[in-house]
Amino acid sequence: MYEADRALVARMRAGDQRAFDEFFKDSAPRLVAFIARRTALDPATLEDIVQSALIKAVRHLASYRGEAALFTWLTEICRNELADEHRKAKRRPAHLSLDEPEAARRWEEMLRAPDDQEPAAQLQAATERAEIMKVLDSLPENYALVLEAKYGDGLSVETIALQWGLTEIAVQSMLARAREAFRQRWQKGSAT
Amino acid sequence: MTDERSQNSDPSSSDDELLTSALRTPAMSQEAMERVRATVEREWRAATSVDATAGKARTVLPSRVRWFAVAAAAVVAVVGVTTWVSRPPVQTAPVGSISRADEGALSVLSARLTRRNLSQGGELRVGDRVTAEGPVLVALARGGTLRISARSELAIISPRQISLEHGLIYLDIPSGTGGASPLRVVTKAGAVEHVGTEFEVMSDDEAVRVRVREGRVRFIGRTNTVVADAGTELLAAPGKSIVQRPIDTYGRDWLWTAALAPDYEIEGSSLIGFLRWVSRELGRPLNFADPNARQIADRTILHGSVRHQTPIDAMSNVLATTSLTYEIRGDAIWVRSGTSAAL
Repeated sequence: MYEADRALVARMRAGDQRAFDEFFKDSAPRLVAFIARRTALDPATLEDIVQSALIKAVRHLASYRGEAALFTWLTEICRNELADEHRKAKRRPAHLSLDEPEAARRWEEMLRAPDDQEPAAQLQAATERAEIMKVLDSLPENYALVLEAKYGDGLSVETIALQWGLTEIAVQSMLARAREAFRQRWQKGSAT
Repeated sequence: MTDERSQNSDPSSSDDELLTSALRTPAMSQEAMERVRATVEREWRAATSVDATAGKARTVLPSRVRWFAVAAAAVVAVVGVTTWVSRPPVQTAPVGSISRADEGALSVLSARLTRRNLSQGGELRVGDRVTAEGPVLVALARGGTLRISARSELAIISPRQISLEHGLIYLDIPSGTGGASPLRVVTKAGAVEHVGTEFEVMSDDEAVRVRVREGRVRFIGRTNTVVADAGTELLAAPGKSIVQRPIDTYGRDWLWTAALAPDYEIEGSSLIGFLRWVSRELGRPLNFADPNARQIADRTILHGSVRHQTPIDAMSNVLATTSLTYEIRGDAIWVRSGTSAAL
């Protein structure tokens, strides 16, 4: 399994530019989405975390053994980065001084919402997303990732099969089980 | 909770809609993605170039900080603050020194993964990975000059070998300098070796272009080797045949190299020597319109300085102090004495 991922990493370690291009094109947008679904980070912090995770990944390519999908490995790095960010955030002062120009600018950005985004609708969507993510994170990891790949990243069954080193039938089967597991937990949540 | 979870008559369809609407997120801006890509790619290149022997923890500032900061150079300096810094420095062989570079235009990642900015007088060493954000002139220890165009990246593999990752460089290795072994420029599409010459190499992920201005170069591609003389351009891409075509050795395409020409010290030197230097830098033959002009050039000794002037400006200023004038006609520089007829 994950032969394609192992080969890609081997090519990257050999300095193959096309391998890096492929890696970045496939991974970076998905990592952005992976974090965005789980956090309410501002775009700048999100950018920092994706960058840090990818830098750690390219520096430690040798430690990828192909025991999981490359993207799964990346999400583990990402989770560590998020934990670090969480620890840092707790140490930061809770208030921003408006005397500081940079702080004032950030406040301005935070307060300026686009006209087409109603705060109430945004809040509802964010709440629902948080609940869905809570359910997803309670599922076996492969189930959560395959649902994210299919519905969040919009990948076809064929692409997921290629990336995960599975047959399309196996992916369809996993998706069906993942959907069923999600439905049961979601309904269980709504009954409480 | 009292929401309307999965109340649809088709559970599978409602789950699909629910998951899709909740899991789709807005994409990161293209600008931000490009910043991330540039930083990660740089780290990947560094990591793969030194492999596992040096891939230790380093501190990289967030891209938004790096890109929004006014002084990128200061950020680059911070990057190298690691435990590696506290280790005794290992000096690799110097291959050249910086003759000209704007502040912050040149950052170097050393073989020990410490990053430093180089300015005039700084040394390039074996193992350095060079990122030029602005034009840079390097005086090579073996003789000759290396000119690096802005937005180029290269690595110093050895005193005799440079790897051009991408961008544009120009090498001027006059005959009689540089020792017996040729300098080699390695690109993705092949290697270029000089045989006492001036040549330009441009490389990107897809192809390499070599332009020979003087002398001769040998291009060693993946499938064959081509020798090209002055006034020839080679185009090569992996898996494709090498294309040759004649080019001018002067004109617009070479202006960037003239702008990076090393300073010529005129104090105590002959006018003829100076004019030959200008001729070489501009890639245009030097002609004298009359014997008197040649005699004046031979016997005139110059004083003063033309530092920080382009070759053409320097020639204008120097000749203004003599009885000679010049004109560029066709591909050549024509110098004439005040007594000769107009060209």
